[in-house]
Amino acid sequence: MERKGIVTRFALVSLLVLAVLGVVLPSGARSLVVQIMIFSIFAMGYDICLGYTNQCSLGHSMFFGAGAYGAILSIMSFKLGLIPALGVALVAGFVFAFLLGLICVRLSEAYFVIVTAIISAVFHLLAMDMTWLTGGDDGLSTTIPPVFGLSLYNPYVNYYFVFFFLLVSYLILRRIIGAPLGRIFISIRENPRRAHFLGYNITRYKLIAFVLSGVFGALAGALYTMTMRYASADYFNFYWSVLPIVWCLIGGTGTLAGCWIGVALMSLFQYYVSAWFTHYLLLFGILILIILKVSRRGMLGYFAGRG
Amino acid sequence: MSGSLLEVTGVSMHFGGLTAVDNVTYTIRSGEVRGIIGPNGAGKTTLFNAITGDLKPSSGKVYLKGEDITGLSPDLICQKGMSRTFQLTYVFPEMTVYECVWVGVYSKARRASTMFFSQADRLKDVADKTMELCRLVGLEEKRDELASNLSYGDQKVLEIAMALSTEPALLLLDEPTQGVGPQEADGIVQLIELLSQRMSILLIEHNIDIILRVCHNLTVLSFGRVIADGSCEEIGRNEEVQRIYLGDITCS
Repeated sequence: MERKGIVTRFALVSLLVLAVLGVVLPSGARSLVVQIMIFSIFAMGYDICLGYTNQCSLGHSMFFGAGAYGAILSIMSFKLGLIPALGVALVAGFVFAFLLGLICVRLSEAYFVIVTAIISAVFHLLAMDMTWLTGGDDGLSTTIPPVFGLSLYNPYVNYYFVFFFLLVSYLILRRIIGAPLGRIFISIRENPRRAHFLGYNITRYKLIAFVLSGVFGALAGALYTMTMRYASADYFNFYWSVLPIVWCLIGGTGTLAGCWIGVALMSLFQYYVSAWFTHYLLLFGILILIILKVSRRGMLGYFAGRG
Repeated sequence: MSGSLLEVTGVSMHFGGLTAVDNVTYTIRSGEVRGIIGPNGAGKTTLFNAITGDLKPSSGKVYLKGEDITGLSPDLICQKGMSRTFQLTYVFPEMTVYECVWVGVYSKARRASTMFFSQADRLKDVADKTMELCRLVGLEEKRDELASNLSYGDQKVLEIAMALSTEPALLLLDEPTQGVGPQEADGIVQLIELLSQRMSILLIEHNIDIILRVCHNLTVLSFGRVIADGSCEEIGRNEEVQRIYLGDITCS
Protein backbone atom coordinates (compact mmCIF):
# COMPACT_ATOMS: atom_id res chain seq x y z
CA MET A 1 0.00 0.00 0.00
CA GLU A 2 1.15 3.47 -0.87
CA ARG A 3 0.98 5.11 2.55
CA LYS A 4 3.10 2.34 4.01
CA GLY A 5 5.52 2.54 1.12
CA ILE A 6 6.52 6.08 2.00
CA VAL A 7 7.44 5.17 5.56
CA THR A 8 9.43 2.15 4.46
CA ARG A 9 11.28 4.15 1.84
CA PHE A 10 12.04 6.86 4.35
CA ALA A 11 13.40 4.27 6.79
CA LEU A 12 15.57 2.56 4.20
CA VAL A 13 17.04 5.83 2.93
CA SER A 14 17.70 6.98 6.50
CA LEU A 15 19.45 3.74 7.37
CA LEU A 16 21.54 3.96 4.23
CA VAL A 17 22.51 7.55 4.99
CA LEU A 18 23.36 6.61 8.58
CA ALA A 19 25.54 3.75 7.35
CA VAL A 20 27.54 6.18 5.22
CA LEU A 21 27.64 9.01 7.75
CA GLY A 22 29.72 6.95 10.15
CA VAL A 23 32.71 7.19 7.85
CA VAL A 24 32.14 10.68 6.53
CA LEU A 25 31.36 12.79 9.56
CA PRO A 26 33.87 14.67 11.71
CA SER A 27 34.13 13.31 15.23
CA GLY A 28 31.90 15.88 16.97
CA ALA A 29 29.02 15.36 14.60
CA ARG A 30 29.60 11.63 14.64
CA SER A 31 29.05 11.36 18.36
CA LEU A 32 25.92 13.46 17.94
CA VAL A 33 24.62 10.96 15.39
CA VAL A 34 25.45 8.08 17.73
CA GLN A 35 23.28 9.77 20.31
CA ILE A 36 20.53 10.25 17.74
CA MET A 37 20.61 6.56 16.86
CA ILE A 38 20.40 5.49 20.50
CA PHE A 39 17.49 7.79 21.16
CA SER A 40 15.85 6.52 18.00
CA ILE A 41 15.76 3.03 19.47
CA PHE A 42 14.20 4.47 22.61
CA ALA A 43 11.67 6.40 20.53
CA MET A 44 10.72 3.46 18.32
CA GLY A 45 10.06 1.37 21.41
CA TYR A 46 7.98 4.18 22.82
CA ASP A 47 6.00 4.39 19.61
CA ILE A 48 4.80 0.82 20.19
CA CYS A 49 3.22 2.13 23.35
CA LEU A 50 1.96 5.54 22.28
CA GLY A 51 1.50 5.15 18.54
CA TYR A 52 0.27 1.59 18.28
CA THR A 53 -1.69 0.92 21.45
CA ASN A 54 -2.45 4.46 22.54
CA GLN A 55 -0.84 4.23 25.95
CA CYS A 56 0.75 7.53 26.84
CA SER A 57 3.25 6.41 29.43
CA LEU A 58 5.20 8.86 31.54
CA GLY A 59 7.21 6.10 33.12
CA HIS A 60 9.69 5.20 30.43
CA SER A 61 12.61 6.86 32.21
CA MET A 62 12.44 3.85 34.51
CA PHE A 63 13.23 1.49 31.68
CA PHE A 64 15.95 3.71 30.30
CA GLY A 65 17.48 3.88 33.78
CA ALA A 66 17.00 0.17 34.41
CA GLY A 67 18.80 -0.62 31.16
CA ALA A 68 21.59 1.81 31.93
CA TYR A 69 22.19 0.45 35.42
CA GLY A 70 21.64 -3.13 34.36
CA ALA A 71 24.49 -2.71 31.91
CA ILE A 72 26.90 -0.68 34.02
CA LEU A 73 26.44 -2.67 37.23
CA SER A 74 26.95 -5.99 35.48
CA ILE A 75 30.13 -4.61 33.91
CA MET A 76 31.42 -3.06 37.13
CA SER A 77 30.34 -5.54 39.78
CA PHE A 78 30.20 -8.80 37.88
CA LYS A 79 32.87 -8.12 35.29
CA LEU A 80 30.55 -9.27 32.55
CA GLY A 81 31.39 -8.79 28.90
CA LEU A 82 29.55 -6.29 26.75
CA ILE A 83 27.01 -8.67 25.23
CA PRO A 84 26.06 -10.39 28.52
CA ALA A 85 25.78 -6.92 30.07
CA LEU A 86 23.35 -5.96 27.32
CA GLY A 87 21.42 -9.12 28.09
CA VAL A 88 21.20 -8.17 31.76
CA ALA A 89 20.00 -4.69 30.77
CA LEU A 90 17.24 -6.14 28.61
CA VAL A 91 16.14 -8.48 31.37
CA ALA A 92 16.10 -5.55 33.81
CA GLY A 93 13.96 -3.57 31.38
CA PHE A 94 11.67 -6.53 30.91
CA VAL A 95 11.16 -7.03 34.64
CA PHE A 96 10.57 -3.34 35.34
CA ALA A 97 8.16 -2.99 32.42
CA PHE A 98 6.31 -6.16 33.30
CA LEU A 99 5.79 -5.14 36.92
CA LEU A 100 4.86 -1.55 36.12
CA GLY A 101 2.62 -2.81 33.32
CA LEU A 102 0.79 -5.20 35.62
CA ILE A 103 -0.15 -2.25 37.80
CA CYS A 104 -0.85 0.36 35.15
CA VAL A 105 -2.02 -1.19 31.91
CA ARG A 106 -5.58 -1.78 33.03
CA LEU A 107 -6.03 1.83 34.09
CA SER A 108 -7.90 4.20 31.83
CA GLU A 109 -5.99 6.91 30.02
CA ALA A 110 -5.58 9.74 32.52
CA TYR A 111 -4.95 7.39 35.43
CA PHE A 112 -2.45 5.46 33.36
CA VAL A 113 -0.47 8.63 32.67
CA ILE A 114 -0.52 9.75 36.29
CA VAL A 115 0.32 6.41 37.85
CA THR A 116 3.20 5.70 35.47
CA ALA A 117 4.54 9.19 36.19
CA ILE A 118 4.27 8.79 39.95
CA ILE A 119 5.87 5.36 40.07
CA SER A 120 8.75 6.45 37.89
CA ALA A 121 9.19 9.52 40.09
CA VAL A 122 9.46 7.21 43.10
CA PHE A 123 12.18 5.27 41.33
CA HIS A 124 13.99 8.47 40.49
CA LEU A 125 14.04 9.40 44.19
CA LEU A 126 15.15 5.89 45.12
CA ALA A 127 17.97 6.03 42.59
CA MET A 128 19.06 9.41 43.97
CA ASP A 129 19.03 8.05 47.53
CA MET A 130 20.61 4.66 47.05
CA THR A 131 24.03 6.07 46.36
CA TRP A 132 25.75 2.81 47.41
CA LEU A 133 24.18 1.15 44.37
CA THR A 134 23.63 3.88 41.83
CA GLY A 135 26.18 6.50 42.73
CA GLY A 136 23.29 8.93 43.05
CA ASP A 137 23.61 12.19 41.22
CA ASP A 138 27.33 11.73 40.66
CA GLY A 139 26.71 8.44 38.98
CA LEU A 140 29.04 5.61 38.15
CA SER A 141 31.65 5.50 35.47
CA THR A 142 33.58 2.55 34.27
CA THR A 143 35.74 1.22 31.50
CA ILE A 144 33.80 -0.62 28.85
CA PRO A 145 35.09 -4.05 27.87
CA PRO A 146 35.72 -4.72 24.19
CA VAL A 147 33.19 -6.54 22.05
CA PHE A 148 34.55 -9.36 19.85
CA GLY A 149 38.02 -7.93 20.25
CA LEU A 150 36.94 -4.46 19.16
CA SER A 151 37.05 -1.59 21.61
CA LEU A 152 34.13 0.78 21.86
CA TYR A 153 36.69 3.50 22.52
CA ASN A 154 37.29 3.47 18.83
CA PRO A 155 34.65 5.92 17.57
CA TYR A 156 33.99 3.92 14.40
CA VAL A 157 33.37 0.75 16.37
CA ASN A 158 31.10 2.66 18.69
CA TYR A 159 29.19 4.15 15.77
CA TYR A 160 28.58 0.89 13.95
CA PHE A 161 27.92 -0.98 17.16
CA VAL A 162 25.01 1.37 17.85
CA PHE A 163 24.00 1.42 14.19
CA PHE A 164 23.77 -2.36 14.25
CA PHE A 165 21.32 -2.24 17.14
CA LEU A 166 19.27 0.48 15.49
CA LEU A 167 19.01 -1.66 12.37
CA VAL A 168 18.11 -4.81 14.29
CA SER A 169 15.59 -2.97 16.49
CA TYR A 170 13.93 -1.48 13.44
CA LEU A 171 13.73 -4.81 11.65
CA ILE A 172 12.34 -6.61 14.69
CA LEU A 173 9.74 -3.95 15.45
CA ARG A 174 8.74 -3.66 11.83
CA ARG A 175 8.29 -7.37 11.65
CA ILE A 176 6.12 -7.35 14.76
CA ILE A 177 4.00 -4.50 13.43
CA GLY A 178 3.50 -6.41 10.19
CA ALA A 179 2.62 -9.56 12.11
CA PRO A 180 -0.81 -10.37 13.54
CA LEU A 181 0.30 -8.89 16.85
CA GLY A 182 0.84 -5.50 15.21
CA ARG A 183 -2.60 -5.58 13.72
CA ILE A 184 -4.11 -6.45 17.07
CA PHE A 185 -2.22 -3.50 18.57
CA ILE A 186 -3.62 -1.16 15.94
CA SER A 187 -7.15 -2.45 16.41
CA ILE A 188 -6.81 -1.80 20.13
CA ARG A 189 -5.60 1.73 19.41
CA GLU A 190 -8.50 2.30 17.04
CA ASN A 191 -11.24 0.95 19.26
CA PRO A 192 -10.33 -1.04 22.38
CA ARG A 193 -13.91 -1.91 23.23
CA ARG A 194 -14.58 -3.35 19.79
CA ALA A 195 -11.39 -5.39 19.92
CA HIS A 196 -12.46 -6.68 23.30
CA PHE A 197 -15.74 -7.84 21.80
CA LEU A 198 -13.85 -9.57 19.00
CA GLY A 199 -12.35 -11.87 21.58
CA TYR A 200 -9.11 -10.13 22.47
CA ASN A 201 -8.00 -9.71 26.04
CA ILE A 202 -7.11 -6.03 25.83
CA THR A 203 -5.14 -5.95 29.05
CA ARG A 204 -2.88 -8.74 27.90
CA TYR A 205 -2.08 -7.14 24.56
CA LYS A 206 -1.54 -3.72 26.09
CA LEU A 207 0.84 -5.36 28.52
CA ILE A 208 2.73 -7.05 25.69
CA ALA A 209 3.09 -3.69 23.96
CA PHE A 210 4.14 -2.01 27.17
CA VAL A 211 6.79 -4.61 27.96
CA LEU A 212 8.06 -4.61 24.38
CA SER A 213 8.45 -0.88 24.53
CA GLY A 214 10.12 -1.08 27.93
CA VAL A 215 12.68 -3.59 26.67
CA PHE A 216 13.70 -1.27 23.83
CA GLY A 217 13.88 1.60 26.32
CA ALA A 218 16.29 -0.51 28.35
CA LEU A 219 18.32 -1.34 25.25
CA ALA A 220 18.65 2.37 24.55
CA GLY A 221 19.65 3.03 28.17
CA ALA A 222 22.31 0.34 28.00
CA LEU A 223 23.73 1.60 24.70
CA TYR A 224 23.76 5.15 26.04
CA THR A 225 25.66 4.02 29.11
CA MET A 226 28.16 2.08 27.03
CA THR A 227 28.73 5.07 24.80
CA MET A 228 29.07 7.54 27.66
CA ARG A 229 30.83 4.96 29.91
CA TYR A 230 28.71 6.47 32.62
CA ALA A 231 25.31 6.18 34.25
CA SER A 232 23.72 8.35 36.90
CA ALA A 233 20.47 8.53 38.81
CA ASP A 234 19.57 11.31 36.44
CA TYR A 235 18.66 8.65 33.86
CA PHE A 236 15.55 8.04 35.95
CA ASN A 237 14.64 11.71 35.67
CA PHE A 238 11.18 12.69 34.50
CA TYR A 239 12.91 14.41 31.59
CA TRP A 240 13.68 11.02 30.03
CA SER A 241 9.99 10.14 30.17
CA VAL A 242 8.90 13.26 28.37
CA LEU A 243 11.50 13.13 25.62
CA PRO A 244 10.11 10.04 23.86
CA ILE A 245 6.66 11.63 23.70
CA VAL A 246 8.13 14.72 22.08
CA TRP A 247 10.15 12.66 19.61
CA CYS A 248 7.17 10.59 18.61
CA LEU A 249 4.80 13.52 18.32
CA ILE A 250 7.15 15.49 16.11
CA GLY A 251 8.03 12.61 13.84
CA GLY A 252 4.62 11.01 13.71
CA THR A 253 3.13 8.46 16.08
CA GLY A 254 2.32 5.05 14.72
CA THR A 255 4.89 5.19 11.93
CA LEU A 256 7.81 3.50 13.73
CA ALA A 257 10.52 5.28 11.71
CA GLY A 258 8.86 8.69 11.97
CA CYS A 259 10.22 9.31 15.42
CA TRP A 260 13.75 9.34 13.98
CA ILE A 261 12.93 12.73 12.53
CA GLY A 262 11.80 13.91 15.93
CA VAL A 263 14.95 12.65 17.58
CA ALA A 264 17.20 14.14 14.92
CA LEU A 265 15.45 17.49 15.01
CA MET A 266 15.53 17.77 18.76
CA SER A 267 19.14 16.63 19.05
CA LEU A 268 20.34 19.00 16.35
CA PHE A 269 18.39 21.79 17.97
CA GLN A 270 19.91 21.00 21.32
CA TYR A 271 23.40 20.83 19.87
CA TYR A 272 23.47 23.83 17.59
CA VAL A 273 20.79 26.26 18.74
CA SER A 274 21.63 25.94 22.42
CA ALA A 275 25.08 27.31 21.57
CA TRP A 276 23.74 30.75 20.77
CA PHE A 277 20.42 30.81 22.59
CA THR A 278 20.14 29.52 26.16
CA HIS A 279 16.37 29.20 26.10
CA TYR A 280 16.38 27.07 22.98
CA LEU A 281 13.66 24.84 24.43
CA LEU A 282 11.32 27.79 24.15
CA LEU A 283 11.94 27.92 20.42
CA PHE A 284 11.61 24.18 20.25
CA GLY A 285 8.25 24.31 21.99
CA ILE A 286 7.00 26.79 19.42
CA LEU A 287 8.31 24.55 16.66
CA ILE A 288 6.39 21.58 18.10
CA LEU A 289 3.22 23.65 18.23
CA ILE A 290 3.62 24.65 14.60
CA ILE A 291 4.32 21.09 13.46
CA LEU A 292 1.34 19.69 15.31
CA LYS A 293 -0.86 22.51 14.10
CA VAL A 294 0.00 21.68 10.49
CA SER A 295 -0.11 17.93 10.92
CA ARG A 296 -1.54 16.24 13.97
CA ARG A 297 0.26 13.10 12.94
CA GLY A 298 3.68 14.62 12.98
CA MET A 299 6.07 15.19 10.14
CA LEU A 300 6.19 11.76 8.58
CA GLY A 301 2.52 11.21 9.31
CA TYR A 302 1.80 14.26 7.18
CA PHE A 303 2.97 12.37 4.13
CA ALA A 304 2.21 8.84 5.05
CA GLY A 305 -0.81 8.43 7.30
CA ARG A 306 -0.74 5.96 10.10
CA GLY A 307 -0.87 2.21 10.48
CA MET B 1 -36.78 -28.54 17.73
CA SER B 2 -33.22 -28.40 19.01
CA GLY B 3 -32.02 -27.47 22.49
CA SER B 4 -31.65 -23.97 23.80
CA LEU B 5 -28.59 -22.03 22.74
CA LEU B 6 -28.90 -19.06 25.03
CA GLU B 7 -30.75 -19.10 28.30
CA VAL B 8 -31.30 -15.90 30.17
CA THR B 9 -32.87 -16.52 33.57
CA GLY B 10 -34.04 -13.75 35.86
CA VAL B 11 -31.44 -11.23 34.79
CA SER B 12 -31.72 -7.85 36.48
CA MET B 13 -29.56 -4.81 36.12
CA HIS B 14 -29.65 -2.10 38.74
CA PHE B 15 -27.84 1.21 38.56
CA GLY B 16 -28.15 2.67 42.04
CA GLY B 17 -31.87 3.03 42.59
CA LEU B 18 -32.71 2.60 38.92
CA THR B 19 -33.73 -0.79 37.66
CA ALA B 20 -32.92 -0.84 33.95
CA VAL B 21 -33.56 -4.54 33.42
CA ASP B 22 -35.92 -6.31 35.75
CA ASN B 23 -35.94 -10.09 36.09
CA VAL B 24 -35.80 -10.88 32.38
CA THR B 25 -36.06 -14.48 31.29
CA TYR B 26 -36.05 -15.94 27.81
CA THR B 27 -34.38 -18.63 25.78
CA ILE B 28 -33.16 -18.84 22.24
CA ARG B 29 -33.14 -22.16 20.46
CA SER B 30 -30.48 -22.79 17.87
CA GLY B 31 -31.64 -21.57 14.52
CA GLU B 32 -34.09 -19.16 16.07
CA VAL B 33 -34.26 -15.49 15.17
CA ARG B 34 -35.66 -13.56 18.07
CA GLY B 35 -36.47 -9.89 18.09
CA ILE B 36 -36.36 -7.71 21.15
CA ILE B 37 -38.66 -4.76 20.89
CA GLY B 38 -39.82 -2.12 23.27
CA PRO B 39 -40.09 1.64 23.58
CA ASN B 40 -37.00 3.79 23.99
CA GLY B 41 -35.40 3.27 27.35
CA ALA B 42 -37.01 -0.11 27.85
CA GLY B 43 -33.63 -1.64 28.62
CA LYS B 44 -32.95 -3.44 25.36
CA THR B 45 -29.35 -2.36 24.94
CA THR B 46 -28.67 -2.70 28.66
CA LEU B 47 -29.88 -6.26 28.40
CA PHE B 48 -27.45 -6.81 25.51
CA ASN B 49 -24.65 -5.38 27.57
CA ALA B 50 -25.52 -7.62 30.50
CA ILE B 51 -25.49 -10.72 28.30
CA THR B 52 -22.29 -10.00 26.40
CA GLY B 53 -20.16 -9.22 29.41
CA ASP B 54 -20.04 -5.46 29.09
CA LEU B 55 -21.94 -5.20 32.36
CA LYS B 56 -22.16 -7.76 35.11
CA PRO B 57 -25.81 -8.56 35.81
CA SER B 58 -26.92 -7.53 39.30
CA SER B 59 -28.71 -10.85 39.56
CA GLY B 60 -29.73 -13.73 37.37
CA LYS B 61 -27.84 -16.14 35.18
CA VAL B 62 -26.89 -16.35 31.53
CA TYR B 63 -26.15 -19.71 29.94
CA LEU B 64 -24.66 -20.20 26.51
CA LYS B 65 -24.88 -23.76 25.19
CA GLY B 66 -25.62 -24.85 28.72
CA GLU B 67 -22.50 -23.19 30.13
CA ASP B 68 -22.76 -20.46 32.72
CA ILE B 69 -21.29 -17.30 31.22
CA THR B 70 -22.70 -14.80 33.72
CA GLY B 71 -20.24 -11.99 34.34
CA LEU B 72 -17.46 -13.34 32.13
CA SER B 73 -15.45 -10.73 30.25
CA PRO B 74 -16.48 -9.85 26.68
CA ASP B 75 -13.45 -11.49 25.07
CA LEU B 76 -14.17 -14.85 26.72
CA ILE B 77 -17.86 -14.68 25.87
CA CYS B 78 -16.95 -13.89 22.28
CA GLN B 79 -14.61 -16.87 22.16
CA LYS B 80 -17.44 -19.09 23.40
CA GLY B 81 -19.53 -18.21 20.36
CA MET B 82 -21.55 -15.08 20.99
CA SER B 83 -20.79 -11.99 18.99
CA ARG B 84 -22.46 -8.60 18.79
CA THR B 85 -22.73 -5.34 16.94
CA PHE B 86 -23.28 -1.95 18.49
CA GLN B 87 -26.01 0.61 18.21
CA LEU B 88 -23.61 3.35 17.21
CA THR B 89 -21.19 2.14 14.60
CA TYR B 90 -18.17 0.68 16.17
CA VAL B 91 -15.42 -0.12 13.69
CA PHE B 92 -11.68 0.50 13.56
CA PRO B 93 -11.71 3.89 11.80
CA GLU B 94 -8.14 3.96 10.50
CA MET B 95 -7.97 0.38 9.34
CA THR B 96 -9.14 -0.83 5.97
CA VAL B 97 -12.32 -2.85 5.63
CA TYR B 98 -10.21 -5.91 4.99
CA GLU B 99 -8.09 -5.34 8.08
CA CYS B 100 -11.14 -4.77 10.29
CA VAL B 101 -12.56 -8.13 9.33
CA TRP B 102 -9.12 -9.72 9.39
CA VAL B 103 -8.63 -8.87 13.06
CA GLY B 104 -11.81 -10.72 13.94
CA VAL B 105 -10.96 -13.75 11.81
CA TYR B 106 -7.52 -13.94 13.37
CA SER B 107 -9.08 -13.83 16.82
CA LYS B 108 -10.43 -17.28 16.08
CA ALA B 109 -7.33 -18.52 14.27
CA ARG B 110 -4.95 -17.16 16.90
CA ARG B 111 -1.80 -19.13 17.54
CA ALA B 112 1.30 -18.16 19.46
CA SER B 113 3.41 -19.50 16.61
CA THR B 114 2.04 -17.00 14.09
CA MET B 115 1.34 -14.08 16.38
CA PHE B 116 4.73 -12.42 16.69
CA PHE B 117 6.74 -12.80 13.53
CA SER B 118 4.62 -14.23 10.72
CA GLN B 119 3.64 -11.71 8.14
CA ALA B 120 -0.02 -11.02 8.73
CA ASP B 121 -1.01 -11.02 5.09
CA ARG B 122 0.70 -14.31 4.34
CA LEU B 123 -1.57 -16.36 6.58
CA LYS B 124 -3.56 -17.96 3.84
CA ASP B 125 -6.44 -19.48 5.78
CA VAL B 126 -7.10 -16.18 7.56
CA ALA B 127 -6.90 -14.26 4.28
CA ASP B 128 -9.28 -16.64 2.53
CA LYS B 129 -11.81 -16.46 5.28
CA THR B 130 -11.56 -12.67 5.42
CA MET B 131 -12.17 -12.39 1.70
CA GLU B 132 -15.06 -14.80 1.93
CA LEU B 133 -16.68 -12.62 4.60
CA CYS B 134 -16.09 -9.43 2.61
CA ARG B 135 -17.76 -11.11 -0.34
CA LEU B 136 -20.63 -12.41 1.76
CA VAL B 137 -21.58 -8.96 3.04
CA GLY B 138 -20.87 -7.29 -0.29
CA LEU B 139 -17.90 -5.17 0.73
CA GLU B 140 -15.44 -6.97 -1.53
CA GLU B 141 -14.94 -3.97 -3.80
CA LYS B 142 -14.39 -1.62 -0.90
CA ARG B 143 -12.02 -3.84 1.03
CA ASP B 144 -9.06 -1.46 0.73
CA GLU B 145 -11.00 1.61 1.85
CA LEU B 146 -10.47 2.95 5.33
CA ALA B 147 -13.43 2.04 7.50
CA SER B 148 -13.95 5.70 8.38
CA ASN B 149 -14.37 6.55 4.69
CA LEU B 150 -17.32 4.21 4.26
CA SER B 151 -20.90 5.44 4.18
CA TYR B 152 -22.81 5.02 7.40
CA GLY B 153 -24.75 2.11 5.93
CA ASP B 154 -21.59 0.36 4.80
CA GLN B 155 -20.10 0.85 8.24
CA LYS B 156 -23.13 -0.92 9.68
CA VAL B 157 -22.55 -3.76 7.23
CA LEU B 158 -18.87 -3.84 8.09
CA GLU B 159 -19.82 -4.12 11.72
CA ILE B 160 -21.92 -7.15 10.98
CA ALA B 161 -19.03 -8.65 9.03
CA MET B 162 -16.74 -8.05 12.02
CA ALA B 163 -19.23 -9.69 14.34
CA LEU B 164 -19.43 -12.64 11.95
CA SER B 165 -15.68 -12.95 11.70
CA THR B 166 -15.41 -14.72 15.03
CA GLU B 167 -17.75 -17.48 13.80
CA PRO B 168 -20.46 -16.97 16.40
CA ALA B 169 -23.24 -19.48 17.03
CA LEU B 170 -25.35 -16.58 18.22
CA LEU B 171 -25.27 -13.14 16.70
CA LEU B 172 -26.58 -10.13 18.59
CA LEU B 173 -27.53 -7.18 16.42
CA ASP B 174 -28.27 -3.86 18.08
CA GLU B 175 -30.41 -1.80 15.71
CA PRO B 176 -28.53 -2.74 12.53
CA THR B 177 -30.58 -0.44 10.31
CA GLN B 178 -30.83 2.58 12.57
CA GLY B 179 -30.01 5.80 10.76
CA VAL B 180 -29.57 4.03 7.42
CA GLY B 181 -31.40 4.97 4.22
CA PRO B 182 -34.22 2.68 3.04
CA GLN B 183 -32.25 1.16 0.20
CA GLU B 184 -29.20 0.31 2.28
CA ALA B 185 -31.48 -0.88 5.07
CA ASP B 186 -33.06 -3.32 2.66
CA GLY B 187 -29.63 -4.70 1.84
CA ILE B 188 -28.92 -5.16 5.53
CA VAL B 189 -32.22 -6.94 6.07
CA GLN B 190 -31.47 -9.28 3.17
CA LEU B 191 -28.11 -9.98 4.77
CA ILE B 192 -29.79 -10.76 8.09
CA GLU B 193 -32.23 -13.09 6.32
CA LEU B 194 -29.31 -14.87 4.72
CA LEU B 195 -27.50 -15.18 8.04
CA SER B 196 -30.60 -16.44 9.81
CA GLN B 197 -30.25 -19.66 7.86
CA ARG B 198 -26.83 -20.26 9.37
CA MET B 199 -27.03 -19.11 12.95
CA SER B 200 -29.26 -17.87 15.71
CA ILE B 201 -29.83 -14.17 15.85
CA LEU B 202 -31.01 -11.86 18.58
CA LEU B 203 -32.13 -8.60 17.07
CA ILE B 204 -33.00 -5.24 18.56
CA GLU B 205 -34.89 -3.21 16.03
CA HIS B 206 -37.42 -0.40 16.02
CA ASN B 207 -38.72 -0.94 12.53
CA ILE B 208 -41.68 -3.29 12.86
CA ASP B 209 -41.66 -4.24 9.18
CA ILE B 210 -38.13 -5.52 9.49
CA ILE B 211 -38.94 -7.35 12.71
CA LEU B 212 -41.88 -9.10 11.10
CA ARG B 213 -39.81 -9.96 8.08
CA VAL B 214 -36.95 -11.70 9.80
CA CYS B 215 -37.96 -12.75 13.29
CA HIS B 216 -39.66 -15.96 14.37
CA ASN B 217 -40.31 -14.90 17.92
CA LEU B 218 -40.40 -11.67 19.86
CA THR B 219 -39.67 -10.55 23.36
CA VAL B 220 -41.32 -7.28 24.29
CA LEU B 221 -39.69 -5.16 26.96
CA SER B 222 -41.17 -2.22 28.76
CA PHE B 223 -39.49 -0.45 31.66
CA GLY B 224 -37.02 -3.29 31.88
CA ARG B 225 -39.65 -5.97 32.26
CA VAL B 226 -40.75 -8.64 29.79
CA ILE B 227 -44.41 -7.93 29.10
CA ALA B 228 -44.88 -10.44 26.32
CA ASP B 229 -43.00 -13.31 24.74
CA GLY B 230 -44.09 -15.40 21.79
CA SER B 231 -44.39 -15.72 18.06
CA CYS B 232 -45.05 -12.66 15.94
CA GLU B 233 -48.71 -13.61 15.59
CA GLU B 234 -49.18 -14.00 19.31
CA ILE B 235 -47.48 -10.72 20.03
CA GLY B 236 -49.57 -9.03 17.38
CA ARG B 237 -52.72 -10.18 19.12
CA ASN B 238 -51.51 -9.28 22.59
CA GLU B 239 -53.59 -6.34 23.75
CA GLU B 240 -51.12 -4.93 26.22
CA VAL B 241 -48.42 -4.86 23.57
CA GLN B 242 -50.76 -3.23 21.11
CA ARG B 243 -51.60 -0.63 23.67
CA ILE B 244 -48.09 0.39 24.67
CA TYR B 245 -46.08 -0.26 21.60
CA LEU B 246 -47.49 -1.53 18.37
CA GLY B 247 -50.45 0.73 18.05
CA ASP B 248 -52.79 -0.83 15.52
CA ILE B 249 -50.29 -2.83 13.50
CA THR B 250 -51.29 -6.45 13.11
CA CYS B 251 -49.40 -9.42 11.82
CA SER B 252 -50.46 -10.84 8.53
